[in-house]
Amino acid sequence: MPSALAPLPDDIPLTRITCTINGEQVVADAPVDCTLLTFLRDIVGLTGTKGACLEGECGSCTVLIDGKPVTSCLMLAGQVNGRTITTVEGLADGDALDVIQEKFVETGAAQCGYCTPGLIMSARALLNDNPSISESELLTALEGNICRCTGYASIVEAVRRAHRELKS
Amino acid sequence: MFHQPVDIETALRLRGERPDATVVNGCTDVSVARNHGMLHPREVIDLSRIASLKTIEHDGDNLLIGAGATFAQLGKCHLKALREAALSVAGPAIRNQGTIGGNLVTASPAGDGCVALLAMGGDVELASAARGSRWVDVRAFFLGYRKTELAGDELVTRVRVPYNPVTRWYKIGKRGAVNISLVCAAVARRTDGSFGLAYGCVGPIPLFAPKAERVLARGPLTDALIAEAADVVESEVAPIDDHRGSADYRRAMCRTLTTRLLADIAKNGDQGDADAFSAGAAA
Repeated sequence: MPSALAPLPDDIPLTRITCTINGEQVVADAPVDCTLLTFLRDIVGLTGTKGACLEGECGSCTVLIDGKPVTSCLMLAGQVNGRTITTVEGLADGDALDVIQEKFVETGAAQCGYCTPGLIMSARALLNDNPSISESELLTALEGNICRCTGYASIVEAVRRAHRELKS
Repeated sequence: MFHQPVDIETALRLRGERPDATVVNGCTDVSVARNHGMLHPREVIDLSRIASLKTIEHDGDNLLIGAGATFAQLGKCHLKALREAALSVAGPAIRNQGTIGGNLVTASPAGDGCVALLAMGGDVELASAARGSRWVDVRAFFLGYRKTELAGDELVTRVRVPYNPVTRWYKIGKRGAVNISLVCAAVARRTDGSFGLAYGCVGPIPLFAPKAERVLARGPLTDALIAEAADVVESEVAPIDDHRGSADYRRAMCRTLTTRLLADIAKNGDQGDADAFSAGAAA
């Protein structure tokens, strides 16, 4: 299957994109048909966001736009013009990890680690939206993210612990 | 060129002037085609900045849904079938992206939103700069496999569905989430007592079952009448064997879902279709 990360046809016109990524203003040109995922990884150079299925099955490319989770492989870069994007690189403050990252480390919630950025962003959106959530809301928020290593128990436990810490 | 009109008039003018441009809103279906190398748009009209396309309003008799309303928005709708269909689509991230207008235009036989709309009945508003707007019965919108009534210079702008039907929805798939329907079904009892029955993944387009609906119109909704209608549904759907399931299984499930959903309406009535209008809060 051709990859979203494969070279694009070279005659696609460029479009100028101005947006805020992890608190910094970014101005860059991207081909009209460039996905947000490719824009972040190959043009902006933020490779924390992963691409895997490229068809909305796995959630590994999840980022936040204006605080809401989206799958970055399923939208065009031009669509984020003027928007505020948060990727996994935007969570830690220097060496100080975000509470969700901290709990992922604590519970050993990463095996191969490929799904981790997407899961952390889905969890971040959930806890941004509402610090007080039910177990079923927690599971629903993560339902779009697949862990191919099947490490769900420790992933869900990490998000539960982050939720408890934020609530207290 | 990447066009981001902020009002519908500009979008319609662009659509008329740029017949080769790719129209996107949530862009989830177009992106899959693009990622598979089937499409490399050189010009895009992005409808996602048009605020008036995102509203969900109530005019007393109808719910008026902007074509840009997302599945996340519809997931707060008071109509049970539409709400549950919306929440059965993909996961939370994609529900923030995908729209009801996109679901209609993609016209996949697995379009969960389309199936819910077909059961409730309603109209789709198609607009062009040249000819203004027209309302098309949602049951006349799907013409064939991924073919619709939408003309090349038109955009879907709104969907109008009755406000108060009693509705039910069920999707069968392989997972609890990020789940493409193997079969899905929606049923509705409208305020005039007539019934709507619709099914996904059992034909080239989202299907409805007019013969079974005529059986139900004889009323009242007894077990015997439900069984008769479910029999007729089996003859009205046209499933195929594919990697998700067999035609026989799908046909059998159409019977089962029809029976269960109608029995639930007979027993529980409008329980589940909330009285309070909550869709407005969803925008």
